Amino acid sequence: MAKKAFRDFLHDLETAGEIQRLAKAVDPRDLSGLAAQTDKAVLFEEIEGYPGWRVATALLSSRRRLAIVLDCAEDRIAQEFETRSARAIAPDIVGNAPCQEVVMEGDEVDLAALPFPLMHVHDGGPYISGTFVVSRDAEYGRNAGSYRMMYRNKRETGIDLVSPSDMRFYYQRMLDRGEPLPIAVAVGVHPFEMLAASYKAPIAADELELAGGLHGAPVPMVKCRTVDLEVPADSEIVLEGEILPIGWTADEGPFGEFSQISGDVKWNPVFRVNCITHRRDPIFYLLQMPWENDWLSAPVTEAAGLQALRVASVEPVAIRAPVGSCGYWTLIASIRKRPGEGKNALLALLSVAEVKLAIVTDDDIDINNPDDIDWALTFRVQADQDLITLSGARGKHVDPSIRAWEMGQGGLPLTAKLGIDATIPEGIPKWLYKRIETYGKDRVRLEDYL
Amino acid sequence: MSGLADTIEATLREEPLQFAELVDRHRAVAWRDFLHGWGELREKDILKRDDIGRYYIPGGKAEAIAAETRAV
Repeated sequence: MAKKAFRDFLHDLETAGEIQRLAKAVDPRDLSGLAAQTDKAVLFEEIEGYPGWRVATALLSSRRRLAIVLDCAEDRIAQEFETRSARAIAPDIVGNAPCQEVVMEGDEVDLAALPFPLMHVHDGGPYISGTFVVSRDAEYGRNAGSYRMMYRNKRETGIDLVSPSDMRFYYQRMLDRGEPLPIAVAVGVHPFEMLAASYKAPIAADELELAGGLHGAPVPMVKCRTVDLEVPADSEIVLEGEILPIGWTADEGPFGEFSQISGDVKWNPVFRVNCITHRRDPIFYLLQMPWENDWLSAPVTEAAGLQALRVASVEPVAIRAPVGSCGYWTLIASIRKRPGEGKNALLALLSVAEVKLAIVTDDDIDINNPDDIDWALTFRVQADQDLITLSGARGKHVDPSIRAWEMGQGGLPLTAKLGIDATIPEGIPKWLYKRIETYGKDRVRLEDYL
Repeated sequence: MSGLADTIEATLREEPLQFAELVDRHRAVAWRDFLHGWGELREKDILKRDDIGRYYIPGGKAEAIAAETRAV
């Protein structure tokens, strides 16, 4: 099976009727405003002031489009992601790469040559939102993650490193030695690379192997020109450079966060760019906030929940990270329960990343139906017996309720967690939950009486 | 500095502005030129932020206005 590129996914969306092409020239300041007026993904074919460039956005702004990525039904996304991610396929190194067809080095470097979009009313500047950032640590090896970048000047961007991550850890180690952290930033990679970058893999795991597993084929990588790193060869654009050893001292943000909130000014390091490479006819990827980020988070959170349940010896039936929780903070799971496993399942789900609300139901509840969940919460929960609360767990800055500003610059916030066991309590017979069935429904037909 | 960067600097000494408000005042300027002008000002390292994320430059009216505005 050949590994797909960013452009292949655009083609898949077009085949499915999910992308709208706009042929008229568009100012980069209007990209987000136009994309927000359609439910489809958008390919802007002409950008004012940027001849030869195109911009694609909102590629993953719905569960349907995520299902297209994974080539599965919409209710099988977590399971499909889990199956594909179980196999690791190491990347290949290639000599020639489309992403290096055009090269700007030294004084030629000009980030304003990229159609940096202004995305939201309260943003602190124009942003690159859909990045695939590669770094390396001498002990732990290669890491890939996704970090937003705010334009500062021709050579520099802000980079959001406020939250705990492997790359933040790598950066801290270099900062302690007073040295910069070299990174390479790919823009316009296939969604499998973006999903791998979102995945909370163990620190020694290689996200490129995970991406290969998702593709079912090795990711072709090319060596960067100015840093000792590799990037996906089929990327649209690559920025090479280093995160300066200045710590969390530069203003960055606000930015329209994946929490669906505008956010506030953060204090972050600065990324200095030493080389820009791109295709001859580059397509800039504008990751539409918050929806694309939320839909990218959901399968990753759901798959982590399934794994946590299995480690806890609980049998999951279905799982969902609702988009109302940004695909990140809430997990709802139905299980085939044995005595006590409602609570075991809650402990497992609350161990996933920064999940702060977990709800567990029996397998007769349709967790994709909010009314069914409400019914279970109403009749299977006693508040003094079926709630679990935890304090002092790892939190995330973008949640205002944890008062991250009190941490100071570079601080890491804590959060409380809540679990609700909405399974039938032990000792209550199941027949007491037998649903109403209408008499005669299968014997008579309404049409016969019209 | 370019004339555009000088203009932006003068504006931000007079009043604190969100980045988007600044962009709105310069819609006639090509985006790439605006980014260059903004970058020049950034490199001077004189920009400050107030509680609601607006940019301003200390030493003028803008600083007093920014100080009066507290996030609630």
